[in-house]
Amino acid sequence: MNLLSCSINTLRGLYDISGVEVGQHFYWQIGGFQVHGQVLITSWVVIAILLSSAAIAVRNPQTIPTDGQNFFEYVLEFIRDVSKTQIGEEYRPWVPFIGTMFLFIFVSNWSGALLPWKIIQLPHGELAAPTNDINTTVALALLTSVAYFYAGLTKKGLGYFSKYIQPTPILLPINILEDFTKPLSLSFRLFGNILADELVVVVLVSLVPLVVPIPVMFLGLFTSGIQALIFATLAAAYIGESMEGHH
Amino acid sequence: MKNVTDSFVSLGHWRSAGSFGFNTDIFATNPINLSVVIGVLIFFGKGVFSDLLDNRKLRIVNTIRNSEELCGRAVEQLEKARARLRKVEMEADQFRMNGYSEIERDKLNLINSIYKTLEQLENYKNETIHFEQQRVINQVRLRVFQQALQGALGTLNSCLSNELHLRTINANIGMFGAMKEITD
Repeated sequence: MNLLSCSINTLRGLYDISGVEVGQHFYWQIGGFQVHGQVLITSWVVIAILLSSAAIAVRNPQTIPTDGQNFFEYVLEFIRDVSKTQIGEEYRPWVPFIGTMFLFIFVSNWSGALLPWKIIQLPHGELAAPTNDINTTVALALLTSVAYFYAGLTKKGLGYFSKYIQPTPILLPINILEDFTKPLSLSFRLFGNILADELVVVVLVSLVPLVVPIPVMFLGLFTSGIQALIFATLAAAYIGESMEGHH
Repeated sequence: MKNVTDSFVSLGHWRSAGSFGFNTDIFATNPINLSVVIGVLIFFGKGVFSDLLDNRKLRIVNTIRNSEELCGRAVEQLEKARARLRKVEMEADQFRMNGYSEIERDKLNLINSIYKTLEQLENYKNETIHFEQQRVINQVRLRVFQQALQGALGTLNSCLSNELHLRTINANIGMFGAMKEITD
């Protein structure tokens, strides 16, 4: 009897480990669409963090900025630098877009790495960074696509499409293909990196709960920041590329 | 035995947690590592970030001070320039006044000299007219005289006869004889 219950406990432990599943989602039904509820919840949390911190920072603006305002002005300067170096002279209208991308992705990634989401249990799936889900990253990448098309079309009108046959008309298929590969690579890069980070942390935690995951978590933090920067930089670069004059 | 089967049955439902709730498993939720990570982040990040932000603040303060200094200097220069402008304007006024008075004086002088010239010219004119008149009068006189002489000659020529001639000569001889007696 004793032996049996002991073996059952072992089995239970084994089952516990084998029960670790990737890709379980907490589905919500909204108007005939199945949405991933956990992503929406964490996105709202991220949005709330961003909005409230920004609101607190600009609540009492000073000429000589104090702590919070100073920090956010520094962030804004950073984003402006990124968009200026990538887009060029007419970077100004695109700073909000690039800034939104960067801040949302950055805070999403870091929230996934720093906030103890797993304390809250969902009926299905688990809470993680919003960028851990391919839908979020695809949405961001498609927004980038729309943005650079809009930028090019408003800047050059229909002449924008002349860049498809720019060096030589033979490259037309490749240039058209590029419009599809850009959002694809953007979204997959972000999604893959963040998912991999979190998976590595989860697996390490399930194997060795203490100390060992810590370096990997730092690595994850680093990668998350880099990924956010890369996404924002690439979005700005695409916008700048579609706006620059070839003639 | 029933326990055991229960356990096996419950194995099937192990993962399908039914609803929202809190996971209290301290290893699964990983709060220890997270707190370590956050602690390290705050510990190191704080220094770096406060340095960064202090530098930025200092830079802003310096920039503001510099621009205030520049502004003050510019205002000072503006004031100086305004003062100079006022001075120059006053000088210009003075010059203008001086110029006006000089011009006035010149005008008066000119008018006076022109008056003088005018008077002289008037005198010349009068003299010329006078001379002219006199010349004309002389001429008229001469003409009249000549006419009178011609008339007299005519009369003489027409009226002179031998008898008259002799009488005249006699009378003249008598006159000259009388004159000779007187002179003797």
